[in-house]
Amino acid sequence: MDMGGIDMNTMPHELAVGGVYLPPLLVAATLGTIAAVLTALFLNRIRLSKYFFYPPFVFLAFFIIYTVLLGTFVVRI
Amino acid sequence: MSLSITAKESIKTALAMTLSYGIALSLGWDKPYWAGFSVAFISLATSGQSLNKGAYRMLGTLMAGLVSLAIIALSPQSRWLFITLLSAWVGFCTYMTWGKRHPVFWGYSGYVCAVVSMAAGPDPVNAFQTAVLRAQETGLGILVYSLVAMLVWPINSRPKFEAAAAKLASTQQQLLKTSLEWMAGKGDPTTVQQLRGREMQEQKQFVQLFAAAETDSYEIWELRHHWHSYQHLVAELSEAMARWRENLTGTQTLDLPGLMPNLSSFAAEIDGRLTQIGRMLANQEPGQQPSAVDLEIDDTKVVHLSHFHKAALTVIRDQLRRMESLTRSLFHSAGYIKGFSPAAPELDDRPPVTEGFGLPDPDRAAGAVRVMLIMWIAYLGMIYVDRFPAGPDAVAVAGTFGLVIAGIPQVSIWLLFLPAFLSTLVSGLIYFLVMPQLSSFLGLGALLFGVTFAIYYLLAAPRLNVAKLLAISMFMTVISVSNHQTYHFLVVSTTALMLPVVFICMGVTAYFPVDLRPRQSFLRLRGRYFRSCEYLMDALRQDPQKSESRLARLKKAFHLREMSSLPTKLGVWSRVLSMKALPGTSPQQITAMVTALQGLSYRMQQLVEDRSHPQAPFLVQELRSDVAAWGTKMTEAFRCLAGEPSVEDQNIFHKELTGIMERLNMRIEETVDKAAGNITGRDGENFYRFLGACRGVADALAAYVASAGAIDWAPWREERFY
Repeated sequence: MDMGGIDMNTMPHELAVGGVYLPPLLVAATLGTIAAVLTALFLNRIRLSKYFFYPPFVFLAFFIIYTVLLGTFVVRI
Repeated sequence: MSLSITAKESIKTALAMTLSYGIALSLGWDKPYWAGFSVAFISLATSGQSLNKGAYRMLGTLMAGLVSLAIIALSPQSRWLFITLLSAWVGFCTYMTWGKRHPVFWGYSGYVCAVVSMAAGPDPVNAFQTAVLRAQETGLGILVYSLVAMLVWPINSRPKFEAAAAKLASTQQQLLKTSLEWMAGKGDPTTVQQLRGREMQEQKQFVQLFAAAETDSYEIWELRHHWHSYQHLVAELSEAMARWRENLTGTQTLDLPGLMPNLSSFAAEIDGRLTQIGRMLANQEPGQQPSAVDLEIDDTKVVHLSHFHKAALTVIRDQLRRMESLTRSLFHSAGYIKGFSPAAPELDDRPPVTEGFGLPDPDRAAGAVRVMLIMWIAYLGMIYVDRFPAGPDAVAVAGTFGLVIAGIPQVSIWLLFLPAFLSTLVSGLIYFLVMPQLSSFLGLGALLFGVTFAIYYLLAAPRLNVAKLLAISMFMTVISVSNHQTYHFLVVSTTALMLPVVFICMGVTAYFPVDLRPRQSFLRLRGRYFRSCEYLMDALRQDPQKSESRLARLKKAFHLREMSSLPTKLGVWSRVLSMKALPGTSPQQITAMVTALQGLSYRMQQLVEDRSHPQAPFLVQELRSDVAAWGTKMTEAFRCLAGEPSVEDQNIFHKELTGIMERLNMRIEETVDKAAGNITGRDGENFYRFLGACRGVADALAAYVASAGAIDWAPWREERFY
């Protein structure tokens, strides 16, 4: 069908999991949280976290960055 | 086959739950799970505790109903004023909940107010009906559970309470015996520490069971003033013994049996009294009455001692005399309570000076601010985020959970998330797969009974209390029983989505504005401890004979309470420290440091008390500058330790401390020689008491510096994500 030049794959759309439609932002935020937790664990392990002034702020920043990146390039929010 | 107590209590809760739902449904009440919540929250270990909690909960609910209506009436069409008033009230209730006076009443005043206001606030037309319905349902749950508790397998707290009292007396006797052996150089300090830990735990249990037995046992209620007095005497004896043990370190080089010739008979008398108290509490007649005994001092040997040793001896003698006086009072108190002594002893139920409404508690205040912040974050989310899961209910749930966790900041909220989330999923399965098959209350009742029993039976351990309450709350919320039962996927999905939102609100407040990570909290409390020591040491420079202003008295009482309570709080935080992230520190080192702080607290308290005694003017004049120099050194050390956990160079610190103590000793020698005959017996005793207290503080500080110096503090300062 002609959509006037709009690519349906780049449109924000809900994700169906077992027949349940999930909002894309929820999926991106969940993945963003997991990625931020993994990054924080890794930085703790290699003791790079000591260079941050206040790691909870850094965690928040990681969460936002990952959510935006995943939302923009993977989940399409 | 006989059922275990856990099984019986689970059956009682499950029965009360089923009956509450049944009655609420038959009366056509909306949201009958409020009655269920009431049952779930008041069902504790014994009927006494539950009745007590039930009465307070009912009063708290009534208070919450009134406050909710007042908040709604004061803030019509004004959402910011509404949340300001509501969060302020919940914050105030949180502060009061974690205090000692009527915690259950304040807890439910806050929790029910959040629930009623958030249910009625957005719908002010029905606010009154909503508030009344919540109060009715809460009352129904309390009434049903109370009746079930009284009629089905009633548990009377009295035997448990009396057994706890006897056990505590026996532990105190063992502790005294082991400490005496240690004083004689035979005992093991580890056993003393273990017994001390047991004594503190049993004291806590004694207080809890007393509150329960007072409610469900007429015999205990009748003698409650005497039991209160007994409780205070036990606490005072416990502290007196702890202070005595702390001071024993200063007398290790002394021949105490030689200096106090009747020490062994004196100790045997105290030991015998504790044995008789144990007998009386076990309803056996005492074998002997307390006999008059005083601790004698061999003056011919004492004259050869240094002034510091004389001071240490005076302190030890005072404390042993205090223990003698307390055991005598305890003996008479136990004798009267158990009917072995006809004369009523004088009652001692004065509250401790350091407890009072006027003294702010920083930790409770931080908890109150945390709850207010949690509610504000959830409320802002509800207003500004489109389709915020569960809307007003999320704010109410956030406030309720916040109130629960505010007093236990050391518990990681992420550990609570898993049981809450799992129970939501399991409840969702029951909601979709089981509930549609039910066609009458018989089936629903069996389901409610079975699930409640399973949750209460499987999660019966006290450490699982929060998980148990979360599981039952989620179950009742998800199945959302009503007379016109509907099934909708959104019920489960909304609850499941609400949970992460609520936990995120709580999680944010674990880092802002107060960082509640264990390591940071431990360091912060340690700093606070030394700031209080610094204040008290600085305040000691004031002339004790001059009257203090009310503000100065309050400040002193505040810092005294901080100093005496912070080692216990540090002990609690030390148990949740991640040792993997702290290489160079062992749990034993942390325990030793906390024990050293506890010892320093006792010595500082002793110093503050002894400073108030009048001193001979001649001694004051002669030694003023030397004592002031000692005080300045101590204040500086406390100031330094408030900032850094340990001193830079232990050797220099010890050298300076020893130097200043030696100078003081020398000046005392000169002054006493000069004074020859000008110092009366009482002045001399007061002087040696004060000197002993000064020496005690210096020794305890040195012990802390040694224990803190053994720890590698660099990893403690290193920032980490968790």
